[in-house]
Amino acid sequence: MVTELVPAAAFPLQSGLVPRGTRTFVFESIFEVFLLLGTLVGVVVVGYMLYNAYKYRSGSGNGHIDDEDRLVLGELPSGSGGGRKLFTSFFMSMIIVVSLVSWTYLTLLYVEEGPSDAESLDVEVEGYQFGWRFTYPNGHTTDGVLRVPADRPVQLTITTADVFHNFGITELRVKSDAIPGQETETWFTADEPGTYTAQCYELCGAGHSYMSAEVVVMPPDEYEAWYANTTADNATASESSTDESVAAKSSLRPAVVP
Amino acid sequence: MVSTKLYTAIYVVLFVSATVQVLVEFAGLSYWLAFGVIMVLSAAKAVLVAAYFQHLRFEPRSLTYLVGIGLAAALALTLAASYSLL
Amino acid sequence: MTDASPGGDAAADGGHEVARGGDDHGHDFPGTGSIKRWFVTTNHKDVGILYIVTSLFFLVLGGVLAWLMRIQLLAPRALGEGILAPVAYNQAVSAHGLLMVFWFLSPFAFGFANYVVPLQLGAKDLAFPRLNALSYWLYLFSGILFGVSFFQGGTFSGGWTMYAPLNVPTFTPDVGASTAVLALVLFVASVTVSSVNFLTTMHRMRAEGLTLRNVPLFSWTILLTAWMMLFAFAALLAALLVLSSDRLLGTTYFAMESPAGALLWTHLFWFFGHPEVYIVFFPALGVMAEVFQTFTGRRIVGRKWFILAMVLVAIQSFAVWMHHMFLTSINLQVKTLFMITTIGISLPFDLMVFALIYTMLKGKIRFTTPFLFVFGALLLFIIGGITGVFLGAVVLDYEFRGTYWVVAHFHYVMVGGVTALVGGLYYWFPKMTGRMYDEFLGKLHFAVYFVGFNLLYFPLFVAWETPRRVFDYAPELAPWHQLATVGGFVLGLSFLIMFYNLFKSAFVGDPAPDNPWEYATTAEWAVSSPPPLENFDGTPTYRDGHLEFLDAGEVAPSEERSGGPTGAAVSDGGVTASATRAVTADAELPTADATEVEGPSHASIWPFVLSAGAFLVLLGLSPLQDAAFPEGMVGAAYATTTVAGGVVTLGSLVAMGLEPFRGPVFEEGEAWPFAGIDNGKVGMWIFLASDVVLFGGFLGAYVFTRVAFGWTGWEPIPSDPIPGLVNTYILLTSSFTVVLALVAAEKKHKWGLVTSLGATFVLGIGFLVNKGLEWQHLFHEGLWLSTNVRASTFFLTTGLHAAHVIAGLVIALYLTARAWRGAYLEDSRSVEYFGLYWHFVDIVWLFLFPLFYIL
Repeated sequence: MVTELVPAAAFPLQSGLVPRGTRTFVFESIFEVFLLLGTLVGVVVVGYMLYNAYKYRSGSGNGHIDDEDRLVLGELPSGSGGGRKLFTSFFMSMIIVVSLVSWTYLTLLYVEEGPSDAESLDVEVEGYQFGWRFTYPNGHTTDGVLRVPADRPVQLTITTADVFHNFGITELRVKSDAIPGQETETWFTADEPGTYTAQCYELCGAGHSYMSAEVVVMPPDEYEAWYANTTADNATASESSTDESVAAKSSLRPAVVP
Repeated sequence: MVSTKLYTAIYVVLFVSATVQVLVEFAGLSYWLAFGVIMVLSAAKAVLVAAYFQHLRFEPRSLTYLVGIGLAAALALTLAASYSLL
Repeated sequence: MTDASPGGDAAADGGHEVARGGDDHGHDFPGTGSIKRWFVTTNHKDVGILYIVTSLFFLVLGGVLAWLMRIQLLAPRALGEGILAPVAYNQAVSAHGLLMVFWFLSPFAFGFANYVVPLQLGAKDLAFPRLNALSYWLYLFSGILFGVSFFQGGTFSGGWTMYAPLNVPTFTPDVGASTAVLALVLFVASVTVSSVNFLTTMHRMRAEGLTLRNVPLFSWTILLTAWMMLFAFAALLAALLVLSSDRLLGTTYFAMESPAGALLWTHLFWFFGHPEVYIVFFPALGVMAEVFQTFTGRRIVGRKWFILAMVLVAIQSFAVWMHHMFLTSINLQVKTLFMITTIGISLPFDLMVFALIYTMLKGKIRFTTPFLFVFGALLLFIIGGITGVFLGAVVLDYEFRGTYWVVAHFHYVMVGGVTALVGGLYYWFPKMTGRMYDEFLGKLHFAVYFVGFNLLYFPLFVAWETPRRVFDYAPELAPWHQLATVGGFVLGLSFLIMFYNLFKSAFVGDPAPDNPWEYATTAEWAVSSPPPLENFDGTPTYRDGHLEFLDAGEVAPSEERSGGPTGAAVSDGGVTASATRAVTADAELPTADATEVEGPSHASIWPFVLSAGAFLVLLGLSPLQDAAFPEGMVGAAYATTTVAGGVVTLGSLVAMGLEPFRGPVFEEGEAWPFAGIDNGKVGMWIFLASDVVLFGGFLGAYVFTRVAFGWTGWEPIPSDPIPGLVNTYILLTSSFTVVLALVAAEKKHKWGLVTSLGATFVLGIGFLVNKGLEWQHLFHEGLWLSTNVRASTFFLTTGLHAAHVIAGLVIALYLTARAWRGAYLEDSRSVEYFGLYWHFVDIVWLFLFPLFYIL
């Protein structure tokens, strides 16, 4: 497999030609390049287009209608020239696009490889209408709040209890579909302790707009202390972000047909 | 085009191969071998019906390609989708 | 005949009616000022105008829904705030998407296609004029049905992508949600009929000398669009029929418990959904190409490469669908493959964009309203294209998925396409109405439109972190959303300028000359504005490299009909061996006994009645759950509606068959690659090719589900293969009797024909009875459609096949009755075409039987 060429142990930050590091770092590095090149190409192409539209506007005297060459009404359009310039531009755009995407493909392999089992924290994520449930390796289950340590890769295994959802923490640049009967995997590493928001990114019913969860990134020692006190008991009520909003969300669930 | 006699012969062949197809199931072959034989028999019958009863053999080839394109699209969907699960 | 009364439809062409009066063969065909005309017309230009006007109505509807959403998005809304309740917002989102994509964009483009393509080809009408009218009426009634869905407890609220399992009644229980799905089914029926018609016309009815490579670019885009529609919509039909069955009959394909139901939907939907992007965009590209050439006064640069690029895109569009599914559980190999095809499909567009830009160079560019819109569209498309490359990079797509980046990107592309089509509306308006629009108001419209567009969609790139379809978002993004809302209103209101301008100009605008654009080169500008009813005074030909019209005497038409294949397949090179054969195009259904002295027909009420019947059937079926109507009066009313609709549908089908309707007369000119094959036969085969994809979708769904389930762990539902084997024998025999029927008809052996057709009918009934007994037996074993997904696939797939058998039997019965009265002995084509269909149904069974009974 090609993926084995990419050392998974390349943590934490390592910026070579192929960006590796946290999901945020990977995304931002590539996004920046795309934004820069995209803007550049856009400005050049649109500028060129506007410039020529102005230059050859009727009445400018720059262009002319070649009555020999131009088509007359009802004439078959057989034959047309101008191939050379067209192909030069085409190949240039092709080189840009193909090289950009090939470059990101190497990063894709890195992202797909994910962190090694040894160092990562595995959390199972289950979406439901309309919230998120998290299960830790020791069986501890929380609802609405995901606690993870900073600077340690978190491996998520995502599924759903009902409809198609999509679990995403936009600030941490991690996202994956939650599909009935299927499991998807993704991972992230958070640098900074703090509170982030996970949201649903696939329309899933009335409560879709409010289907969020808190992601609390804790300093590693604090996390360990917290984790040591957890048990396999379900801690739904105490860990809910706000009881009020959960009550509100449940009212959005459709009356299930018996 | 084609004589009634030939049509009749093709009909007999189709009838017999439909019977054979069911017998294959009881022939004690391994599942995937039987699968292959049965699908090949189906395809052969389909080709016979299309070529003679729908007289595609005697039409410009473009009509055959037309159906072929539809078939290719359907197969692309089926195979790629199923493969994506593996 | 020369009814020039003002009022009536906006498209009525006042003073110019006199010009077309002389061509009006059908003495029962009312003028454009008459309301009746618009219900019975089968003329392609009338149908085109109907499409355009109707689609603009749906644009307004979809636009108002968008406004509601934009108002909701003015600020992040906590639960209970805002003008829309959560479910109402979801309905607005879903209906907006469905209306704009299905009921506005494609029909708007096909309005132009209807009007312009036959003119560009040199055809007097489409191959099957009544089927063309039928496409329109099915489209209109599907839109009405969608409208009705709002009033049945609420329309569908699961997004235009309709992801499973949110799309099944467990999660979206409203009757209106089912109605919306059924409305889409009806819409797909319209599209299929239309695709078959356009493909037959465009391949078979081009004027002499007009080889495919010389067809104008707008017609090229429509040709490729129709091909994509034919196959893509067949896949969508498979998805929608399965979904309808899940909703109405209780099958469990997409249910939460199904092994991979949610994934199955994404495959079926996006297999259609990605070609759909090009289906809505290609016609816009065609308008761009035409308008660029006309208003720069130059040929397009690299014409053949432009065409080649489009052909490549059309083919590749069927191999990129999984790029919408990069975050699902598909494997890395497939992701890589689809990333490559996705990049591959973006490249031809680069070439097209450059070709358009270089066309401007050295020209004399006239900034008329059509050019402004098309120029603006290209600009927007460039932005849409560049932002699309971001999504092609899978790592970026992982984060953009489900965000406003996607929303902004596809609005730049799709509404960019709309921009070009609006340019097309201004471009062809003088041709359609015979009057010029107001140029100042047109330019003003463009200015307001362009500002509104960018104000609406550009901020969405900036606010890309907003999840799609939510109205509670990060507060710091609010300014961008407010800007977008302002832009939305500016964009929407700009259309008021257009409506005012066009409505007024249609009545009092300056009269338009044949070619108001000076450097326009395509054939529609060579005839009067508006063109006469049958388009051309003589027979158009391009035999000397330019358009000429031949008098009737020069082509010496004979009344000979094209019989079987001539064998001499004519290449596209320009040799037209069969050019002197006059053929009547409309062989939809037997009309051989009609007298042939009169000219072509232009009126039939049956397409309208048939569509109304189909509308009633689907409306009646909408409240079904687990194959049962609701109890009480409401259920009885719905059931009655279904039955009444069924009677109307069947009755109008028979009436349409018996109606003496004469299609357009044409000289077979360029007909590659179907030279020498009758229009009716080509149409039938094109239809069958789409049916291959429909069954392919069903079988694909079965195979996919079974692979997800574990192939060998899946027991066939019927424990006994013998009834299936018996049915194989019956169907094979019935295929044989259809062959005998054709042989008898060709030998003018009346009783042989009647007996063979009758035998086919009896065998078909036997097939259904045997199947009915088998099903009854399975029901008694406790198996039902909803028992498990194995039962669902078995009953639904063989059920779809049985429905095909039933449709065949209706035709067989009709043919038998007509044969009894002596039909088909002179002209056996109807029997032959029925045979093609019947054998196809037989072939399908040859695969269903082993897959569902033995393996």
